[in-house]
Amino acid sequence: MIEPLTDVVPSFFAILNQGPLTLTIFLHTIIVLPMIWVYKQEKARLDSEA
Amino acid sequence: MANKSVWSDNRFWARSAAWISGFASVLLIWLTFDTSVQISMGTDSDLKNGVTKRVPAPTVINYKITYEMSAKRGHEVPIIGGNDGKGMSLFQEKEKFFGKDDWSEKEAAEMLHLGKLASQTKNCMNCHTLLGNGAYYAPDLTKAWLDPAWSSTGALQPMTGKTTKEEAMAEFLQHPSKYPTHARMMPNLGITEKEARGLVAFLKHMSSIDTNGFPRNFGKMQGAVNGK
Repeated sequence: MIEPLTDVVPSFFAILNQGPLTLTIFLHTIIVLPMIWVYKQEKARLDSEA
Repeated sequence: MANKSVWSDNRFWARSAAWISGFASVLLIWLTFDTSVQISMGTDSDLKNGVTKRVPAPTVINYKITYEMSAKRGHEVPIIGGNDGKGMSLFQEKEKFFGKDDWSEKEAAEMLHLGKLASQTKNCMNCHTLLGNGAYYAPDLTKAWLDPAWSSTGALQPMTGKTTKEEAMAEFLQHPSKYPTHARMMPNLGITEKEARGLVAFLKHMSSIDTNGFPRNFGKMQGAVNGK
């Protein structure tokens, strides 16, 4: 999935941007994963308050 | 309060929004700095030492510039001063620009600056696009310098009666309404000879900017009609 960098100026985003969706999937994953953690925390809080 | 859903809980949404806004802010600030590195102009010593920059120094006007397919990157890239055979610039082959190929850093920068100011005062973007920005009435000028129509075998250079590309382009810019180029003819904008030279330098420099292959397949379209 990760191929050698072909961009002129080396950049973290150039490494991630290997295809049309790689950057999008990566950013959405980073955003959604902590939301699952927040969800679990809030669920536990609501259950303890019930 | 029995079985309250997390989805209707305010704290869950507030924390999620805080995380997304914070992450997006950091990402945008990071991207700003990342972009400034990508678009910062190179120096004359970069060219002399063979360092490829996305935006080369103004003295790039002393070199021969071509637009060639890079198998590694999968699109055309500007090649400055000859190709090393692997799709990278050699920065060796020079090309005379208005009679000389040793424009100093200062001279080249001044010429380019005059060209940039002229492009703004004459409002090229009112009809053309530069690097994709502007209006869609006239052709994109990003790689205009590399347009085969301006080469000695093209249609436009012989039309002006000049023997070099830069002189032909400068002559056209000074008297555009004299030459039949296109159904949408360029109007006479009162461009002086000095401004025209600056504009050609500006265009030559712009053609050396690595735009990740934009515009795609430039100069390969055969039998184009009305610029399409």
